[in-house]
Formats: sequence, C-alpha cells, structure tokens
Amino acid sequence: MSLSPYVPIVGLFALAAAFALFSVAAAPLTGPRRYNRAKLDAYECGIEPTPQAAGGGKFPVKFYLTAMLFIVFDIEIIFLYPWAVSFNALGLFGFVEMVLFIGTVFVAYAYVWRRGGLDWD
Amino acid sequence: MSKFPFLTLLVTLPLLGALILAFFPRSAGELAKRFALVWTLVVFALTVGAWLAFKAGGDRFQLKDDYPWIPQWGVRFTFEVDGIALVMVALIGLLVPLIVVASWKTVEALDGNRSVPAYFALLLALQGMMIGVFAASDVLLFYVFFEAMLVPMYFLIGSYGSHQRRQYAAVKFFLYSLVGGLFMLAAVIGLWVLGGNTFDWHTLVEAEFTTWAERWMFLGFFVAFAIKAPFFPFHTWLPDAGSAAPAPAAALLVAVMDKVGTFGILRYCLSLFPNASKYFAPLAIALALVGIIYGALLAVGQNDLKRLVSYTSIAHFGFIGIGIFAFTTQAGSGAVLYMLNHGLATGLLFLVVGFLVARRGSASIKDFGGAGKLVPWLSGVFFIAGMASLALPGTSPFVSEFLVLLGVFAVNKTVAVIATLGIVLAAAYVLWMYQRTMQGTLNPALNEVPAMKKDLSVRELAVVAPLIGLILFLGFYPKPVLDVINPAVQATFTQDLGVSDPAPKSEAKK
Amino acid sequence: MTFKLPAIDYLALAPMLVLFGAACAGVLVDALVPREWRYHVQVPLSLVALLASGGFVVALANRKEHVVTAGSAVVIDGPGLFLQGSIVVLGIVALFLVAERRLEPGGAFVAQAAVVAGSEADRKQMRKPGVTEVYPMMLFALAGMMLFCSANDLLTMFVALEVFSLPLYLLCALARRRRLLSQEAAVKYFLLGAFASAFFLYGVAMIYGYAGKVDFRGINEAVLGSSNSKTLLLIGLAMLAIGLLFKVAAVPFHVWTPDVYQGAPTPITAFMAACTKVAAFGGLLRVLYVAFERSSWDFRPTLGVIAAATMIVGAVLAVTQTDIKRLLAYSSVANAGYLLTGTLSMNRDGLKYTMFYLVAYGFTVLAAFAIVMLVRDSDGEATHLARWAGLGRRSPVFASLFTFLMLAFAGIPLTSGFTAKFGVFAAAVGGNMTWLVIIGVLSSMILAFPYLRVVVLMWLSVPGDDTPTVSVPGAFTAAALFVGVAMTLVLGVAPNQALELVNDAGAFLR
Repeated sequence: MSLSPYVPIVGLFALAAAFALFSVAAAPLTGPRRYNRAKLDAYECGIEPTPQAAGGGKFPVKFYLTAMLFIVFDIEIIFLYPWAVSFNALGLFGFVEMVLFIGTVFVAYAYVWRRGGLDWD
Repeated sequence: MSKFPFLTLLVTLPLLGALILAFFPRSAGELAKRFALVWTLVVFALTVGAWLAFKAGGDRFQLKDDYPWIPQWGVRFTFEVDGIALVMVALIGLLVPLIVVASWKTVEALDGNRSVPAYFALLLALQGMMIGVFAASDVLLFYVFFEAMLVPMYFLIGSYGSHQRRQYAAVKFFLYSLVGGLFMLAAVIGLWVLGGNTFDWHTLVEAEFTTWAERWMFLGFFVAFAIKAPFFPFHTWLPDAGSAAPAPAAALLVAVMDKVGTFGILRYCLSLFPNASKYFAPLAIALALVGIIYGALLAVGQNDLKRLVSYTSIAHFGFIGIGIFAFTTQAGSGAVLYMLNHGLATGLLFLVVGFLVARRGSASIKDFGGAGKLVPWLSGVFFIAGMASLALPGTSPFVSEFLVLLGVFAVNKTVAVIATLGIVLAAAYVLWMYQRTMQGTLNPALNEVPAMKKDLSVRELAVVAPLIGLILFLGFYPKPVLDVINPAVQATFTQDLGVSDPAPKSEAKK
Repeated sequence: MTFKLPAIDYLALAPMLVLFGAACAGVLVDALVPREWRYHVQVPLSLVALLASGGFVVALANRKEHVVTAGSAVVIDGPGLFLQGSIVVLGIVALFLVAERRLEPGGAFVAQAAVVAGSEADRKQMRKPGVTEVYPMMLFALAGMMLFCSANDLLTMFVALEVFSLPLYLLCALARRRRLLSQEAAVKYFLLGAFASAFFLYGVAMIYGYAGKVDFRGINEAVLGSSNSKTLLLIGLAMLAIGLLFKVAAVPFHVWTPDVYQGAPTPITAFMAACTKVAAFGGLLRVLYVAFERSSWDFRPTLGVIAAATMIVGAVLAVTQTDIKRLLAYSSVANAGYLLTGTLSMNRDGLKYTMFYLVAYGFTVLAAFAIVMLVRDSDGEATHLARWAGLGRRSPVFASLFTFLMLAFAGIPLTSGFTAKFGVFAAAVGGNMTWLVIIGVLSSMILAFPYLRVVVLMWLSVPGDDTPTVSVPGAFTAAALFVGVAMTLVLGVAPNQALELVNDAGAFLR
C-alpha cells in the first residue's frame, strides 16, 4: 500500500490551516479599528440578537424561508449546468428526466407560493 | 388403533367450550355453570372412551392423531399417549367436572363483581391445554401448551384469588414458570438445530448429541420441569400461588398442573437425554430428598391451611422425584402411580380445605379448633383426605409410596432411609393439622359464624365421593392402573434410558 | 465525451415511483385544494398510491425476475421485494392510524406546528383540523424506506436514508397535545439523526477509500481480493454501522428512542416502530449480507456485543418505565436486539427469520399503539401507567386485546412473538451464535416483567376515579387494530404462508 495519493491532501490541509491561522493572527495587527453599533452586532444583517426580541422570544423566520427557497433553486441550477453541457449526448432521455426534475422543484415552489411562503408579512 | 380422534377432541373440545363461555354475558352466571358442567362431563365421557380404547398390553404409544402444522419447521399436531400420559389425561378428565361443581359458589363468594362465565372459561381453557401437554408428542407442540397453560392459570389466581396477595402470587407464579419455560425454549431450539430440524419425539429420541450439548439441553428442560413440579429450590412460588388461588383452582394447580413437571422429566429429560440424565441423577435425587424433608418440616410449621397443603405437595413431589431418578421400573411405576394418587389425594385435600375456608372465611388454623363437633361429616372427609395424604395403608397413595421406597431401596438404601423420614413427618403434619382444626374444645368464635354450622351439602358430597371412592379402590386394587403404567415406564427406562433393573442382590451403584 | 445511458427498468422501480409521484401530487393538493377538502383528498390519494405500490410489488414478486437497474443503483431481488411489500402493508396500517379523526376533533396532529407552544394562538388552534402535509410526508418516508431496502450502493442508500429520515423528523414535531414534548422529540431526533447520517457518510467515504467502489458487489470483491490495509475497511464499516444502528435503535445508539417515541404523535410513533424498523434492518441486512459477508469474522464479535447490550439494556430499562409509550420504546430497543441476533447469524435462516420477525413485530406494535391512542381522558392520551389501573374492568374488550399483544411481546406461544423469536433464535444457534441466544432468552425473562406489570395493572387493580375511558375507535383505528391483532394471531398460530413467503424470497442478489 502506498500513501502517496494522500500526501498532497495532507499538504493542502496543512496549507489551509496555516492560512487560516495566519489570517486570524494578521487581521488585528494590520487592520484599523473603528467600532460602531453595527459592527458590534453578531451579524451585520437580519435579526437583532439583543435585547431579546419582543413577543416572548419569537423572531421572524422570513429570512430563513427566503434562504431555503434560494437554496432549492441554487441546487436546481447546479444540476442544470452539467445537463446543458452534455445535452446532445443525453438526448431525449436526459431531457425528459430534467423536465421531471424541474417539475418536482416546481411542485415545491407551488406549495411555498400557495401557502404564503413568499408573502413578506 | 382406533379411528376415532379421541385425543384431538379431548384437546379441542374444552378449548371450544372456553371460547363459547367467553361470549356469555356477565349476567348469565348460572347458565355458564351448567354449561361448563355438561361440557366437562362430555369431556370426561371421552376420556373414559380413550381409556377403553387404549390397549394395556399393546404398543407403547396409541391413539395417534397427526396433522400438519408448520411444515417449514417440521412442526406437526401429533397427539398420542403412552400409559403414563393416558393416566394423567384420565385424571384431568375426572377432576375437572368435580372442580366445576366445587366452584359452584366460589366466584360469588368473592368481593367485587367478578365475572362467573369468565371463571369457567378459564377453567375449561386450562383443561384443554393441560390435556394438550400430556397428549402432545411433538416437542414444540408440547412447549406451546406448556407455556400457554400459564395464561389461564395466571388469571385464575390473579382475578379470582381470595387473598390480599393474589396479585403478588399470580405474578410470581407467572414469572417463575415463564423463566423455566424460556430455559426450555433455549433447549428446544438447540434440540431442533442439533436434532436435524425436526420436533418429532420419536425421531429425536434416536438422535445422538455430544456430551456437552446433551447436558446443557437436559438442564434447560430440567429447570423448567423442576420449577413446574416444583422441586426444591424452585418451589417458592407454590405456597403463594396455592394459598392465593381459589381452592378449586388450587386443587387443579397442585393435582394436575404440577404433574406436568414430573411427566416432562419422564418423557423428555430421560428419554431424549439418557446420558445426561444419568449424569445428573445424583443431583436430582439430592434435590428431591431435600424437598421431602424441607417440605414436610415447613408444612409442620404452617398456620395457614392452604399453605400447609402446598408444602405437603412439595414433599410429595420429592417422593416422585426419587422414584423417577432411581431408574428402576418398580420405583418408576411407583412414581407414576404416585402422580395419579397425589392428584386424587391432594386434590381432595385442597377441595375439602376449600369447603372449610369458604365456611369460615379464613384459612388460618387458629380460626378453627374443635370444628369436628359442628361439621362431623366434613371433618370425617377431611380426615380421610389427610390419611390419604400421609399414605395410610388402604388408601391409594400407600401403594405408590411403598413402590417408590421399595424400588429406591433396591438401588440406594441411604436415600430410601432418608425418604422414610418423610413419612414420619407426614404423619406429624397431617395429624397435628387435624387435631388443631377439628379436635379439642370448640373454638367459641366458630359458633358465631353461621356457615360453620352447615355440614357437607349434597353438592359437596358429590364432589368428594368419587375421589374418596377411587382412593380407596386403588388402595386395594391398583392393578388396572398399573397395567397401563408399567409397559410405558419399562419402555422409558430400558429402551430410552438403557438401564436394566438391578438383580435382587447386586450392588447397583451409579 | 460519450455517455452510456443507464438502462432503467421502470416496472422494477414502479412501487417506489408510484409513491414518489403520489407524494408530489400530495404536496400539490396541499397547495391548491381548499383547506376543508384537503383531508378528504389526501387520505384516498395516499391509500390508492399505497395499494398501487403494493400491487406492483406483488406483480414483481410474481415475475420472479431479479434485476439490477438504474445504472446498478437499485437492485430488485426477493428479499428486497419482501421488505418493500412489508413496508407498504405496514404503511397502510399506519396510514389508518394517521388518518383517524374520530378520537379527537381534527386528528392527532396540530394545525400549525410553528405556533409557539402554550401561546394564545396555540390555544385557539386546539380545535382546528390538523395539518394534511402528514400524508405526503408519510409517502415520501415510505418511498425512501423502500429505496433504502433495495439500494445497491452506499450512496443511493445514503440518499434513501435522508429521504425517509427528514419527513420523520418533521412528523415527530406535529403532535396536537403536549406540543413542547413533541418539539423536543423532533429536535432531538433531528440532531442525533443528522449526527448518525454524518457517521454513515463518513463511513461511505472510508469504504470508498478502501475498495475504490461504493456498490455492494464491488465492495464484496474488494473485501475478498484487495491487498489494501484493512484499517480503512474496519473504520468505514464501524462508522457505517453506527449510522445504521442508530436507525434500528441499538444500544448505545438508542438514547433518542424513548424521548422520540414519547413525544411524537402516537400514530407516528407506531409508524416509526413498525416501518422504520423494517427499513433500517432491511438496509443493515443488505449491507452485512451482500457487501461485508466475507469480513463477518471482523464484525460479528463487536456487533454481537452490541446485540447483547441492546437486549439487556432495553429489557432492564423497560422494567423501570412508568409511561406506556416509553415502555414500548424500550421494548422496541430490546426487540432490535433480537433482530440483530437473527441478523448476525449470517446464514439464510438468519435472513429469512429476521424478515419474518420484522413483519410480526410490526403488526403487533402497530396494534399496541392503536390501543394507546384509544385510552384517553380530557387531556388526550393517558399514557402514564398508573392511569391504566383497572382498565380491564372498564373496557374488557380492549384490555383483552392489549393483554394479548403484551403476551405476544413476551413471546408466549400461539402469538407471533413466539414464532418470530423461535425463528431468529434457531437461526442464531445454527449460525454458531448460541451465546447470543442465551442472552436473548435471559433478557426475554427480564422483559416479561414490564409486560406482565401492564397486564396486572389492567386486570388485577381496582379502577380509580381517574381511570381514563377507552374511546370508541373510528373505522380507521378499528381497522388498524383488527389487522394488527389478527396478524399477531395468524402469524403465531399458522405462520405457514408467511414462512413460505420469506423462504421464496431467497437470498439477496449480489
């Protein structure tokens, strides 16, 4: 058994770790520090984490809904690209399968739309 | 060979009756009793028919009924009886109608509104399953009945027990038996795999096993049977169950159900695992001896009538145990005869105790005293039952006890002498029990219980008369039964086990 | 660049395709059909889909032509079809429970799961009809389970695992009552399930590292002939096993089971206990028997210890439970141990009887949960065991049925519990795993105690003021209950047909 195919992976791993450590270490040394309210937030967009949200800890899930819907279409695109590239080779079979796939995505889309997932309020 | 499917009917009829009774409405108690009586009498008639159809000098196994069940596992509904099983089936057929009659007022006497039809349904279900246990010659079928039998008995104790501790007793009974059953299941599975995927008893008898496999499987079966019988030290459930169960059910429990244990040892442990049986025989005899002395000693010290009778049974099972493991035909026949006679005598004793307890409303010996003056007839029957229990000559248990001791004496004098001690103790506990309850000055508290002034009723007389008659008859003339038993015992010992009876003078040591 | 298009045998995939299609249609129904009509459309749609799927399974089974299709991602062979058929049939019975709306206005499911538990809005939705998304989710889960049992490579298997797990996580959170418990169950199940999936996926990567293949046949060849170090194989197999054992709820990966079983809506608990068990063991069987059969020397000791621990821990912890759903959860853990015992025998009997056990257990557990659904008071289901005291007096019919089911769980003969246990134990003895059988028998003894305690509570205790009533079941629950109990009886008394089926199923196609 030879480990040689794994050696580059280990190297890459070490490189990535080194870069991450270097970045974290370098940022406070080199960067300017100008604090304001927005920068002290945990996230610079979306929900205010503190003080506790009004209404007994409830917080809106609107962002998550949108994000999830985005991921669904994102994945769809990822599948569409290789199919488009090899459209000729896959022929009718590929076309039918892809239509079915898009169909199922649209089933989900229709559900989200009809059940008010796209309404902001 | 008879064409008439006696055994199949004997198993299915009671179960069918139980099913019918289960659909009786609660209010139809009286009808249920009559139905159960008629039904069990029909079953009794069938047992008589089976007895007559059985040829005492013929094949070892007769009355064979055979139907396929699960071909993939080689399981069949095979019913056939040898002499030993036939005697037990006959005992069941005889006892159950009597127990139905004895139970006529049992359920109503209990507090709470308990269902009468359900009681008799359970009784009939128990009867069918017990007959099945004795009649099965397919190992899995035997196991199925062996386990299923627990369920009706569990409910009889748990739902119809008279005692505050009935739940405890029922659960203890069930768990003890189930533990034994599961040990047996492990052995049954081993038997199936090693014996060539069959459950047919006749095939398995021929099978050869390695020494270790045989010993382990023997132990699996033996533990189950020793719990059921019960042998010391697996006996602790019996006094609880016996005292908590309603007296008629307790009579059935001790008189028949426990015999499944000793029957199983004869039919399965000895025949299937002859070498292991010889290997473990000293241990089994030691346990049986301890049982004889220990059961008797504890019986002497009991204050509760039902517990006392339960302990006497443990002592009696010790006798059966040494009779079996002495490996002589004489002792073996004695043991089998003992199984029958103990069923009659202890069944009678339990039923009579039941009558007494029902009158007094208490099973404590302290609550009686001088009762013989109030109920002379009942006390007379009680006396006869007691005498039968201590094996007085002239009663049938004497014959069997004598045969057992004679057979044991031929092979091992020490064991026989120790066992004889048990007879002395038996006299002590029976006589002392009788003295404390029936003789002496009248306990004034008894006068205040109106029921204590009623002597034996016609119904009760009808229950005890056949039993007393049989005990006396078999005491003088046991030949018809011995003729049926002997060939089967002989076959078990010589064919299956491969031992021959010692010549009168030889020094037979194992 | 050239492609070879995978040949797809659509008929072979039809059982799954029908369900996936119907599930998508179900989502559309929820999107487009007015709210009050959804229930009346969804239930028939799901039922028809399941029946059609079952019809295709039967047709395929009759075709007797075993194929590897969809680019060798899916294999349709005898055992796979048997497992698919079992999942469909058990799924139909579970669907009956899910569709029940008579017991509680609106059914067992909440109207809007996202509403904060205990808030004003939550109280307002108490009487609104439950969500109808449960039906498509159930169909997705069922289709995923079927794919899981007939996947031919580890990646397809992983996808199937996720397809049937994700709907289950959601379904757990939808209980109408005790919202917080239900949500807790869902979160726990989801987090731990995701963790287990990660293990599974990591294991797939390791195996790929070892074998260079992910399909079972390739792995099998690699195990036989590869010169690579076995370290990767063993690590991979261990991680794969963790993922699978989590789903089957084997110790020590069982900790989610009681919480999830208790918190999930009871129909879903029943669904998980029956169908997920089949799917998970179907997958485990295929992985072990097809891909890793040749390294059985490596995994049998370890998995044997896990099986033993599963049986014992499940049984012991079941003893201490006071909630019927938790009790059944631990019983399900212990049953996973018995199934593992059958699985590890690694012979044809092991495969056959494990599949038989899955079906037998599935029906019994569905019926048991059906009765749990029926025992209710104003707060919904009364699951605390103390509340079941005296139920036998209140409603003898249901108490009798439940007693029967408890006896089946305890493995008493004439119930499917006995035949199933006999099968797996016999297979294990045949596969030289006798020590596991002995532990199995011992744990059965322990496990009998909690079952018996329920029976004692129902029959032998006096009903209190707060003994809940048993609701009259709607047609759906009645049907589920009837099928479950009837199959428990049939598979116990006459298992011939089912044994014939598992026998005909033959071996896995490699």
